[in-house]
Amino acid sequence: MLIIGLVAAAILGPFYTWRNTDNPSASRFGIASAVAVAGAAVTPIAMGQCGFAAESTGVDHLFAYGLMAAGALLGLVALQALFDRADGKKRDTVAMTGEIRTGGYRMGWWVPWLLLSPTLIILLVFLYRPAVETFTLSTQLTRLGAPRSVDVCFSNFTEVLIDDPFKLVAYPLLAIAAIYGARFWVKRAAPGSLSRRGADLAAVGAMLSVFVALYAVFSPGGGGQVAYRPVYVNTVIISIGIVALGMVGGLAVAYLAFREIRGGTIYRTLLIWPYAISPAVAGVLFFMIFDPTAGVFTHVMDTWFGIDVPNYREHAVLAQGAIILASAWKILGYNILFYLAGLQTVPIDQIEAAVIDGASAWQRFTKIVLPALSPITFFLLVTNLTYAFFEVYATIDFMTKGAPAGKTSVAIYEIIRVGVNNGDLGRGAAQSVLLFIAVIGVTLWQFRTSGSRVSYGGA
Amino acid sequence: MRYRLLALLVVISMIIAACGSGDEDTTTTAAAGGGDDGGGTAEVIDIDFWVAFSDEARLGFAEDRAAEFNTKHPEYNIEVTSFASYNDAFDAAVLAVDSGEPPGIIHFFEAATRQALDAVGADGNPIFKSVTEAIAGRSEILGEPVVLDSVVSAARDYYTVDGSFYSMPWNTSTTVMFNNMEILNAAGITEPPATWADVETACEAIMGLADGPSGCITWPNHSWFVEQSMGQQGELLANADNGRSGRATEVFLESDGMLAYLDWWKGLSDSGYYTYTGLQRDWDGTSNAYLAGEVAMLIYSSSDTTFFDENAEFDNQASFMPRNGDVDYVGNLIGGATIWMLDGMDTATEDGALAFMNFFSNPDNAADWHQLTGYVPITEDAVDLLEGEGWYDESPNSKVASDQLAAAQNTPASLGALLGNFVGIRDIITIAIEDILVNDLDVATRMAQANEEANKSLSEYEQLYGN
Amino acid sequence: MAGLAPGVQRRGWFRGRKWPFHLGLTATATIIAFPLLYAALIATQNNPEIFSFRTSPGTALRSNFEAVWVKRNFAGAMWNTVQMSFYVTAGKTVLSLLAGLAFVYFKFRAKWLVFFFVLVTLMMPTEVMILAMFRMVSGFGWQDTMTALVAPFLASATGAFLFRQHFANLPLELLEASQIDGATPIKFLTRVLIPISWNVIAALAVIQFVYTWNMFLWPSLIIRDEARQVVQVSLQTLTNIDGALTYGPLMLAAIIASIPPAIVFLLLQKRFMSGFAIGQEK
Repeated sequence: MLIIGLVAAAILGPFYTWRNTDNPSASRFGIASAVAVAGAAVTPIAMGQCGFAAESTGVDHLFAYGLMAAGALLGLVALQALFDRADGKKRDTVAMTGEIRTGGYRMGWWVPWLLLSPTLIILLVFLYRPAVETFTLSTQLTRLGAPRSVDVCFSNFTEVLIDDPFKLVAYPLLAIAAIYGARFWVKRAAPGSLSRRGADLAAVGAMLSVFVALYAVFSPGGGGQVAYRPVYVNTVIISIGIVALGMVGGLAVAYLAFREIRGGTIYRTLLIWPYAISPAVAGVLFFMIFDPTAGVFTHVMDTWFGIDVPNYREHAVLAQGAIILASAWKILGYNILFYLAGLQTVPIDQIEAAVIDGASAWQRFTKIVLPALSPITFFLLVTNLTYAFFEVYATIDFMTKGAPAGKTSVAIYEIIRVGVNNGDLGRGAAQSVLLFIAVIGVTLWQFRTSGSRVSYGGA
Repeated sequence: MRYRLLALLVVISMIIAACGSGDEDTTTTAAAGGGDDGGGTAEVIDIDFWVAFSDEARLGFAEDRAAEFNTKHPEYNIEVTSFASYNDAFDAAVLAVDSGEPPGIIHFFEAATRQALDAVGADGNPIFKSVTEAIAGRSEILGEPVVLDSVVSAARDYYTVDGSFYSMPWNTSTTVMFNNMEILNAAGITEPPATWADVETACEAIMGLADGPSGCITWPNHSWFVEQSMGQQGELLANADNGRSGRATEVFLESDGMLAYLDWWKGLSDSGYYTYTGLQRDWDGTSNAYLAGEVAMLIYSSSDTTFFDENAEFDNQASFMPRNGDVDYVGNLIGGATIWMLDGMDTATEDGALAFMNFFSNPDNAADWHQLTGYVPITEDAVDLLEGEGWYDESPNSKVASDQLAAAQNTPASLGALLGNFVGIRDIITIAIEDILVNDLDVATRMAQANEEANKSLSEYEQLYGN
Repeated sequence: MAGLAPGVQRRGWFRGRKWPFHLGLTATATIIAFPLLYAALIATQNNPEIFSFRTSPGTALRSNFEAVWVKRNFAGAMWNTVQMSFYVTAGKTVLSLLAGLAFVYFKFRAKWLVFFFVLVTLMMPTEVMILAMFRMVSGFGWQDTMTALVAPFLASATGAFLFRQHFANLPLELLEASQIDGATPIKFLTRVLIPISWNVIAALAVIQFVYTWNMFLWPSLIIRDEARQVVQVSLQTLTNIDGALTYGPLMLAAIIASIPPAIVFLLLQKRFMSGFAIGQEK
């Protein structure tokens, strides 16, 4: 079975080069074929071909092939860079690195390296090395301080997924197909037409289908599998809740506050200060507000409105809502700050023209202000998402500790619960890899989209 | 210019070094400070004592005893370090052994006894040394009488593994029930309920009160209470006689006793008698609910008997943990923690550590500790001392825990389990219970799932640590 | 927001009455401030006062403060956090300045590779590799040390790119003038670049300081010794002062723990706002 993968790499490698290189030649195809095979062989060799062992399942094969493909692709991309250099397609280092075009210091070759070395060493030791170790750990059964560890191949991964390899491939492929289909439709449909509206709806549906596909891919538990689907659902609900509430709230407040008004500076300071508050303190403050025995929320609901609010830690919706509220409150200041800056860039003449045209305030907002803010919105979307993925840990730890029955245990919380509290480093690392993939996905999406939209300009 | 460049790098490296040395200072000054002030007689031997308490009373007790010992034995300096939890202290100890800076003695809880026995350092040797072995039959060390022989039987039986004490018992408790007698009396109940059925009867009466509390009973969702109930009903939690005649390789989370207990618990919850605070292991929340009068009864650790006596603004009476009236009572087990001694110290250091541990639990100190908290007096001598002082007549609640432990038969079931990865398995149990209570799941089905998870977890542990 | 775009006046937007805006802003500011105001109230009360939902300040501020500051040595935790935040902020600023200098004013082989090496770390938040890092740093024997809190965070792609971007936008004449004077790169950095970059440095410093001060997960793993813990994690032990859940000291501590980042943020607010580029800490 390993052979099938290697043969496929040998054939597809030249194909990749043929599509990308400017000077296709037999020797290049030969090199590409060899590099693809070598890249594909790296992981099976490193892991002792465990994905193809006698007791391995279809899902294991899938992982093994997936890693082979990734290895081959990485090798080919690197090779392509070499080919491009050979073809004289030098990278524009000047534009990329911000290097000044003329002048610059002419000193020993080691001077820039010396200047960069502290940064590079820190990144190598504290980011690259643990990243590699996370992958290694994720294939092991190991505990902190254990005298030995056992290689378990992909089982830390396969146990959080459904065990049907065909569905495992089909669901994500369907979602990807839906996205490309919707894109195609959007491109074809004329703006403003009925078809375009349908296409826009389809695009939204395609985006949602990604969430659905992932939902279907994670195991609901039972049969020796780990129930990771609930963790995924919690993460999606809480992340989207925080991002939506935090950003809509931030924009609304910023829109209220950016106007020239007496005392404006003071108002703005009073609106953005939660930026300095930590997620832990946010958790503490809302822990107090919602406390079932002593908190003001339960008390006010009871005495003013006669509503007997149940203990929020016993009800999934209330618990998740409380986490979302606390986190959105904390990140609100940050969003207001950036939207205030963004609102300064809204083209004023367009607004005035719209006023003359008799556009309503809402129309002005949706037609002019929102589009002008879209780079900021996109930037905030990514940073808020990062916040919701990671920083929310402290808030949860103070408010619910994952209660009720794990309904507020998001991915990062689950990693620590499994990896540290239960000491199961291998499983924790495997879950870390899943989160890692999510982060890489979001970042690549950011890079692709932001290239044309967000300017990284300084002041 | 190269010099300037170098100078800048030196500055950076100094900043980095400063970070490192900054806290080196805090480590060594404390220790060295003790050394310098030692009076110049001889070199002072530092022994780190890691304590998994951070509250003033308990940590303070340990710090005060250490100070007394240091005064009494100026050649030693016991240095107390506080950790937020048992797990924190243990994880830190394993890491510290690996990196070659282990503490001398460390406070560690009962559930991880197996894990502590199995813990090995980077060289593959066990981290801890048996205190029985280290004492080697001496009746006193550095003038401190050895108290190990006087340890009360419940603790002795729990912590004796392969016929020897690996660790020195310290804080030992059992589960008792605290009763708000004012509410119980108002509901026409004169005695604290003894059995599950009694609790239900009492709760029915209490919930029928016009101005009664919002709930009837609570206790933390902690696996320890489940284990207690297994002991009471004589059910084993694991094979190999609860892991006492050999390594446990299988756990029983679907036993009749387990299902009976959880059915009772869920029944209380469904009828609105049991108040769940919504958090696992929520000692603070449950004790608050009891003190605030939101429930009439609280099943809790005896470790806080004194606290409840002092803080309850009502007639607070302790009683045995309610048991299953349909089966014969076998016995409650202990909980708490012991002090483990790291292996690899030289004789002088080891003797100092042993002397301190015995001093720490000498009759006076053990009695004080009991009075301060409610943990059972750990030695018979301390019990005698307290009886002589008339303490139990004065505070009858403090005797309940000892009485309950004395009523227990000495069987593997009532001793409690020694299990690998017990902390993780406890977590599986608590999660399952929360699931049952909050999501209204079927007890048998959910526990079957928990049983599967726990057995998987145990077998994986045995793969890594077993023979 | 005076510093943001001082020249741009937005009067054209602002027609009609002003009082609805004052009202709206005041209401919003109050709602945002509510959790903190409520915490400040609770911080003055003891448990019985809290349970009776007293709306006036209680009598326990002093004893709460003693519980927090003296009994639990919150002062020690504050000092640990001050040190950590200072070292990380200072170290990261210096390292980022040096990296920016190297990227913009030097030509060297494989620069794009180095750039790529740094760029990729934007995709590598510490949190996703925290277990491996915990194991690795523990293996160094660094648990319970300041080094473990500081060293992993001394470098960041964000900082390096921020200065790269900033330097690249500066006029070339600066370098030429200083080269004529024969200034070394370090002199150029300290005499020319830094003085004109205070806004950017301040922006980065505020972000770093607040970010570091607010770190929770990493210290909670690598620091177990209560005496060396940082404030955000130390808060957890304050939920239980004398055997039961105590709210007052916890709220007081939460407020105290928020003062230093709030001060840094408010003091440097103007510079921060005029200096920040769209960059964020991961």
